[in-house]
Amino acid sequence: MQLNIDEALRYLGAGAQAPAALRQEMADVARQLMQTLRPRYIYRVYPLRHEEHAELLPDADVALTGSTARRMLAQCDQAVLLMCTLGAQFDTLLRTQQARDMSRAVMLDACGSAWVEAGCDAAEQELKTRFPERYLTDRFSPGYGDLPLTLQPGICAALDAQRRLGVTVTESLLLNPAKTVTAVIGLADAPQMARIRGCAYCALRQTCALRKGGTSCATG
Amino acid sequence: MQLADFQNKILMLDGGMGTVLQQRGLPPGGQPELLNLTEPDLIRSVHRAYIDAGSQVIYTNTFGANRKKLARTGHSVDEIVRAAVRVAREAAGADALVALDIGPFGELLEPMGSLPFEDAYDLFREIAEAGAAAGADLAVIETMTDLYETKAALLAVKERTALPVFVTMSFEASGRTFTGCTIPSMARTLEGLGADAIGLNCSLGPDLLAPLLAELCRSTRLPVIAKPNAGLPDPVDGHYDMGPDAFAEALLPCLDAGVTIFGGCCGTSPEYIRKLNAVLAGKTPAKRTYDAASFVCTPVTPLRIDGVRVIGERINPTGKKRFQQALLENDLDYILDVGIQQEDAGADILDVNVGYPGVDEVAMLPRVVKTLQSALSIPLQLDSSNPDALEAGLRVYNGKAAVNSVNGNPEVLARVLPIVKKYGAAVVGLALDADGIPQTAEGRVTIARRILAAARAHGIPDEDVWIDCLTLTVSAQQEQAAETLRAVRTVHDALGLQTVLGVSNISFGLPNRALITQSFLTQAMYAGLTLPIINPNQREMMDAVAAFRVLSGEDGECRDYIARFAGAPVPTAPVPGGSGNLTLDDAIVRGLRADAGRLAKEALAQEDELSLVERRLIPALDKVGEGYEQGTLFLPQLLSAAQAAQAVFEVIRTSIARKGGAPVKKGRLVIATVQGDIHDIGKNIVKTVLENYGYDVIDLGRDVPPETILNTVQEQGVRLVGLSALMTTTLPAMEETIRLLHTLPEPPVVFVGGAVVTPEYAVHMHADYYAKDARQSVEIVRRVLG
Repeated sequence: MQLNIDEALRYLGAGAQAPAALRQEMADVARQLMQTLRPRYIYRVYPLRHEEHAELLPDADVALTGSTARRMLAQCDQAVLLMCTLGAQFDTLLRTQQARDMSRAVMLDACGSAWVEAGCDAAEQELKTRFPERYLTDRFSPGYGDLPLTLQPGICAALDAQRRLGVTVTESLLLNPAKTVTAVIGLADAPQMARIRGCAYCALRQTCALRKGGTSCATG
Repeated sequence: MQLADFQNKILMLDGGMGTVLQQRGLPPGGQPELLNLTEPDLIRSVHRAYIDAGSQVIYTNTFGANRKKLARTGHSVDEIVRAAVRVAREAAGADALVALDIGPFGELLEPMGSLPFEDAYDLFREIAEAGAAAGADLAVIETMTDLYETKAALLAVKERTALPVFVTMSFEASGRTFTGCTIPSMARTLEGLGADAIGLNCSLGPDLLAPLLAELCRSTRLPVIAKPNAGLPDPVDGHYDMGPDAFAEALLPCLDAGVTIFGGCCGTSPEYIRKLNAVLAGKTPAKRTYDAASFVCTPVTPLRIDGVRVIGERINPTGKKRFQQALLENDLDYILDVGIQQEDAGADILDVNVGYPGVDEVAMLPRVVKTLQSALSIPLQLDSSNPDALEAGLRVYNGKAAVNSVNGNPEVLARVLPIVKKYGAAVVGLALDADGIPQTAEGRVTIARRILAAARAHGIPDEDVWIDCLTLTVSAQQEQAAETLRAVRTVHDALGLQTVLGVSNISFGLPNRALITQSFLTQAMYAGLTLPIINPNQREMMDAVAAFRVLSGEDGECRDYIARFAGAPVPTAPVPGGSGNLTLDDAIVRGLRADAGRLAKEALAQEDELSLVERRLIPALDKVGEGYEQGTLFLPQLLSAAQAAQAVFEVIRTSIARKGGAPVKKGRLVIATVQGDIHDIGKNIVKTVLENYGYDVIDLGRDVPPETILNTVQEQGVRLVGLSALMTTTLPAMEETIRLLHTLPEPPVVFVGGAVVTPEYAVHMHADYYAKDARQSVEIVRRVLG
């Protein structure tokens, strides 16, 4: 598992133009983070039913509504619910770092986003190994497209996330600890259309300044 | 059936409830606690199946029966808990005991989440009282991962009911919970708080829990509980991988390690309990060895005191103008910074004293404890002569703390020791009494014995009694240095207790104080001092400790000593102006904190504080801000510059505090992350930058209700409010806050920002300004406040 420094720099708005000193300090923060903690993930594979109004995971008591889920899962007969987190330990690190050095704290925050994405990538690799004869869709998350954030409590309950990963959902549908990602991945018997690695994957999809401005780091 | 004699026997608990319900065809989802009302026969039959399999204690179906989780069901905690206890009682008859099951809320406490400790206590109180009233035989607090939440639950049960209470937490194979709590921290804290038995449940199978349970058995005198899962779940079908036979066999090593209370958690059913009963039949509890070490901790830092451990003395207003000012201004950030410096300098424990005229210590001590624990990981020693302040601080402390202090005065002992006992703290006993400080070592040892006897009478173990033999100033009472050292030796060797000594006082009034203090420290450690209270930022003192640890053999293979000194040249006195032609402007722009502070000190010789801020500091910050706007500098660099500016401000504040003048403040504003939103790094970035432009920022934190913001604006007469929101789901709370502020006759100016806020939405919400980043916030604040 490797933390992508360029990705972390992009989160700070400093992609390729990042000065060498900043890049080096970011690498230092990333190295420390990787030594301190690793992303943890859980997932479960569910049978999928295509209903009129939703993609249904009956065993999980989860209904994926909207056109995003419909499009992504059109050819799938199973769907994976995935959760990956850096845990409360990262939040503690970040809180401590904010009290010590705000500048390094924002770098740590960006590295945390890249690190949890690396954890999702690792989980996806594991799925590919576990089901070599199956094809995976891109992973997509509540809040992306029209897949609603209101799914978070149901996904957490289905995965027993509080007991198994220490993750909870607030009343305002925030996942806590902060660096936590939930995602859906479809499983099909036919190859799935590859989409460019973009916002669908991104931990900042909710909050990205570029997206807010109508562009993305892939296009910008 | 009675619980009375469970301590020396094997006791059998039940297994999973949810697992059995699923086996009986219950669909996923929903709130299982409601089944106590809707399907009492089903729940009763599960309980009965466990009793028939050999369970002597059954857990009520109330794991999630708290006000938070029941909020949308239309049922009260009392109603559900009563029904659950009744159903369990009907199943149990005289064959088994009914345990009120209390699980976590599913919401994190401060500082990880936004639920205050006091609110958590109140939620648990409601469950505990309902369970006791309904006739439960005992309470079990289970599946906890946060020691702080566990403490709130345990206090609620202990204070509001007379029920015996078992506590189990969930650990990962790494030996920590999800929140980082260690086994020794859990054990020492919960035993200190009065749990009747402690253990581990859920998360892993018995094979992986066994080594953790062995460590737990060494860390406590209490009976130990094992209630593991049936192995690990399969990601495809969710089934646990360990059958009843394997499960039961895998628990035998736990018996050998000293566990006496057994059961199962997720994936287990009555069949598992039956097998377990068969395997354990005729077995007797193993002999256990308790590690009776002196110990304090936070959840993440267990501190075993088996050598010299440094107590940092700097969180104390005595003789420190700047610290006094911070206390009077509620400047908790400053106090936290004093703590961070000591932790970074190598302190093992921090003494915390906030007693000062004009400061309400009973309110301030818990606030400071919470603030320090939000960012520091080392244990604290609460230092006050006010027993109410000590109790308030101990109550909110997360872990096992120390108390400084009691003395030989019987009234003080009678007032403070019950508090020490209740919260399971260690206590410092000063070797003095109402007649003052005895002039001989023998006199002080006599008082130490009296303190020890009183502590024992209150049930406080010897390892939690630390004696301070008192340092007197050698220039005033020269013969007393030797008496103090003799007393330390006797307390350490003859009484076998930990010894504490505030060392610095020895050299008062002499030139080259550091030499005397360091020499005395070394002699005292040789005499048996284990807990010196010193300034860890003073290099000579920490060097002396490092050297002593080598000579005493405590620092094995001189590892720490070598790490401390190898490669680093022994520093000599700093050369003035050593950084060449660096200007204050450069130092700020490049984010060089130490240089900026030093150059500011030099500059104050030539110009006054205000001019330093207006003519040097702010232009430098502006230069960085422009670079940020143009995309040549990035957020970390903007913040580095702000932090260098902070060092300059610290020099200015200290200078003003010394002269007693009015602080340089350019106007005040309130900032907050709105209700429901717990991600606040963006708001903190804005705060850092604004403060270092000299603005007085009242930071209300995160998840702030609109009413709190309104009240603060009214009470403090604030004219400017900054709000941040990160999630689309919390934008309505931002809108509501603005609406409420606009009900004031003279509403304050409001600026908004945060990831999901757009200029259009700012207009829609009737905010006055939209700030896209910290830099724009500065421009807005300047326009409004000047």
